[in-house]
Formats: sequence, structure tokens, C-alpha cells
Amino acid sequence: MSETPTAFLDVPHLLEASQPRPRPIWAWYAMLAAALFILTSTWAAGQNKQLQNVVQPLGFLLMLGVIIGMSVFASHAVKQQRQEQQRLEAVEELVQLRRWDQAGAMLDALLAQPTRSGAARLQALIYLASVLARYHRFADAIAVQNYLLENARMDPAATHSLKVMRAMALLHEDQLFDVDKALSDLRRVAPDSAGLALVEIYRDVKTGHPAEAIDIVQSRLPAMRAQLGHRVADVHALAARAYDLLDRDAEAAAAYERATLLSPAEELIRRYPELAPLGEKYTPAAAPAKEAAA
Amino acid sequence: MISVNEAITCFRRDLTMSTLLKAGLGFGVGLILALHFVPMGKFDPTILLMVLGAVWLVLWYRTVKGSRLAAESSSLLASGRLDQAEVQIEQSLRAFSMSRSIKSMSLLNLAVLRLAQKRWPDTALLCREVLSAKKGTPEHVSKSGRLLLADSLLEMGDLRGTHEALAGLYNHRLTLAEALNLLRVQTDYLARIGAWESLCQGLQTKVELAETMPAPNAAKVQAMLALAARRTGRAEWASYLRRRVELLTDVQELTGERPILWELWEK
Repeated sequence: MSETPTAFLDVPHLLEASQPRPRPIWAWYAMLAAALFILTSTWAAGQNKQLQNVVQPLGFLLMLGVIIGMSVFASHAVKQQRQEQQRLEAVEELVQLRRWDQAGAMLDALLAQPTRSGAARLQALIYLASVLARYHRFADAIAVQNYLLENARMDPAATHSLKVMRAMALLHEDQLFDVDKALSDLRRVAPDSAGLALVEIYRDVKTGHPAEAIDIVQSRLPAMRAQLGHRVADVHALAARAYDLLDRDAEAAAAYERATLLSPAEELIRRYPELAPLGEKYTPAAAPAKEAAA
Repeated sequence: MISVNEAITCFRRDLTMSTLLKAGLGFGVGLILALHFVPMGKFDPTILLMVLGAVWLVLWYRTVKGSRLAAESSSLLASGRLDQAEVQIEQSLRAFSMSRSIKSMSLLNLAVLRLAQKRWPDTALLCREVLSAKKGTPEHVSKSGRLLLADSLLEMGDLRGTHEALAGLYNHRLTLAEALNLLRVQTDYLARIGAWESLCQGLQTKVELAETMPAPNAAKVQAMLALAARRTGRAEWASYLRRRVELLTDVQELTGERPILWELWEK
């Protein structure tokens, strides 16, 4: 019977298959047996002088075997762990450079087999959630994020960032009741978070409350600029949409220009499909011709 | 708060101790194995080997604990919790560890902390200590050490030292994070020495890389590139990058830190 090939980034399969394999129990049994053998034979040799001549070299050989075996085993384990770490670092770089296809392919291969450590699996699953969101597979991204929030122990900063990503994915999926719950939770823990403000702005734009979105932008922009870096382009783009919904065209055009100065229009529209009308109405910022850089 | 001299003393003491211990353990194992060929009556030297194994296990456990402390300090530094990081680093430097790489990592974490506290001479001293060893320092530690050294020397105005520290990095394969750090320091260095044409080489790639940096670094790098574009007659790029910088940071703050950048906003 042939196995059915799994789909690309099949979340239930990857969650199941990536569980770290328990340490081989035979190694502990073997070490225990060797220790028992040495202790018993030493005791037996103490009772019988003739036996001593046989037991001592045997014990020596066994101990030597244990030392060599342990060294080989440890070195192999360290090598494999290092390889896994390098693959994970490569995925991190690909995600940072927005090479999503390559990152997705690497994650698919990495998580399709048991990982060497739980920490590596956790990190890989966080990257997987980002890649799935990029592919607009928000339901899958939410499944991974829920799994992580329920099962993994992370530091507060990582938990917060995961919850922001989850709230954004829920918003894309139009699960507004869950979004409100998620936002309340985020507000309680980190009310000044730029990620939280971004989700709130998007919710207000999506649900037709542009004035509220603009209020948030105006009051929180300096903090968002400091925390979001180039992703502050998202804030300007959503502000442009909010102004546009209020028919404040001049302000919308200015905000759209600021947004596209920091990020290409196509990328912003891909992230937020609600921005599509802006592309037809306003002119994006002009970037210098690439040849000029040569 | 641990002083730099104290940290360096702990580092050197632990390195000497661990070298002696490793040599002692190796010698002990050899001696015990040799004892198997000497008639010793009822006494079995294998028992001694097991005792040595137990000693090794205890030391290994301490090393693993030290490695965890060093890793936790790194994440505390990354999340900006400097006070907690300081306590953790002090603990990890004072605790004995057999591993040279863990000790170097802890010393480097202290260097990162001092850099964040703008104590540049302390950072330079710590990095020089980590880099002074010719052998046994892992490559990633030595690369980070060089980057930190270049960064602190640049802040101290030691351009020659910065150049030497940066030059040592060109032979290494860098990770993306290291390449981004190198770009930040190198851009600043080239602007200080007025190498505007060199700064403009691969401008598009440099801008794309800067986009992945946190806001203050992204703004600083693009401002330096804008200045280079302006000085080399690339007016379109200069204006484009200057406007980006305005959206990413507070211009007053940026120019206060690097007064040379005022030129971008002069009429």
C-alpha cells in the first residue's frame, strides 16, 4: 500500500510529525548493565583470586568501550543538534528576507520529521505561523498559534508577539468576536504595544470606523514608528484608507504617499486587501530608478 | 554590579581552572587504565574510573547550567531588560564552567550590556579579552566580538582600530544578523572617513538590508546613505532616503547623535 503524499505545509501532519523523539532508552539500560556488571564482577573477584585475573582485564575493556561509545554518541548527537540549529537559522533569515517559498519548503522538510529538541520545534512552529499568514492561510496560522499558546512555555515578549499575530489572523478571517477577546487580553498585558495598535487600526478600517482608526494613528504614531520600523508603512496605508473612507482625499493621498515611500504598494495591498481601491485612486511615492544605484 | 576588571579576572581564572581540570581528568583516566595492568590484590581500579566519571558528570552539569544562564542573559538583552540581564550575567561569570565557549559568551554578553549603557571603553576592553585567545573561541563568538569592538571603537573615535576590527570580519561567512550589524557599523565608519563613493556601492542592496533593521538603525543607515548620495550627486536617491528617514525617526534626535547628518536638512 503506498502512502498518500501530504500537502504542502499540512499543519496537522507537521504538528504530529515534528514531536521530538524520546531519548533512546537502550543507552541507559546498556550503561546500567555495564555498571552492574563491573560492580558484581569486582565483588566476585574479591571472593576468588583466580577470577580476579579474568575480571580485571574484562572490566577494563568494558569501561574503555563505554567511554568510547559515550564519546561517539555524544559527538553524533551534538552534530545533529547543530545541523538542526543551522537549518532553523536559515529559515529565520529567509523569513526576515521575505523569501517565503524557500522558508516554507525548509519548514515543510524540517517539521515533517521529529525535531531534536522541543525548543527548535517551538521556534520552527513560530516561523511556520508567519509563513502561513503570508500565504493567506489564516485558519492554519491560527491553528499553529493556538497550539503554541496552549502547549508551549515562552517568554512574555514572544507570547505577546504571537498573540498579536493571532489577533491579526483572526481579523483576516472575520472572527470579530474572537478578535475583541484577543484585543482585550492584549490591552490588559501591554496597552502601549504598537502591534496591538496596528490590529486596532485595521479592525476599525475593516469594520467601517475610520474616525476611530485616525484617532489611534494620531495619538500613537511616534510609539508605533519606534517599535515597528519599516512596518510603520502599514499604519500610514491604513490611515490612508481611513481618510479615503471619510472622503478626505488630500490627507488620504498624503498618507498613501508616506506608506508607499516605506513599502511597495503591491506588498501593502497583499497584506491588506481592503487597500486595493487606494491603488486606483492615488499615486504611490516614486522610488529612484534601480540603475541609478550602480 | 560586576566591574570589567573583576569580570576579566573571573574569566581568566575559570579558563586556567578548566584547563587544569581537563588535563587532570585526562591524566587520571590514563593512570587508572594503566593500573589495570598492575597487580593490586583485591582493589579494582575500575571503581576509581567510576569516581572520576561521577566528578566529570558534576562538572558537566555545572557547565550545562552555565550555558542556560548565558542563553537567558542573551534573550534578556535582546528584549531590553538590562537590569535583569546584568544580574544574570554576573551570576554566569561568577559560576564555574568547564566550557571556554560559555565563558566567552558570558563576557561578550557583558560587552553588549556595556555597549547598551554607552560605556564604550568597557566594551572595547571586554571584546579585546575575548578576542585575545588564538584558539578555542567559537567562530560566532569571535565575529560578534569583532563587531562589538568595531562599534565601541567607532563611538570612541578610534577610526584606525575600527578599520582593523572590521577588516578581520571580511574573511568570515556572516549570518544575516551579523551582516546587518556590519552594514550599520561600516556605514557609520565610511561616513566618518568621508568615503562617499564606497558608501554608494551596492546602494539598492544596502537600502533593502536596512529595511529589515529596527527603526533607529534603519533610520541611521539610510540617513548616512542619503548623505553619501547627496555628496556624490545622486539627488533623487538623497531626497528619497531623507524622506524615508523622516518617517522612521525623530530628526532632531538623529542629528543630535550624528551632527554630520544636519546637512541633509539644510536649505
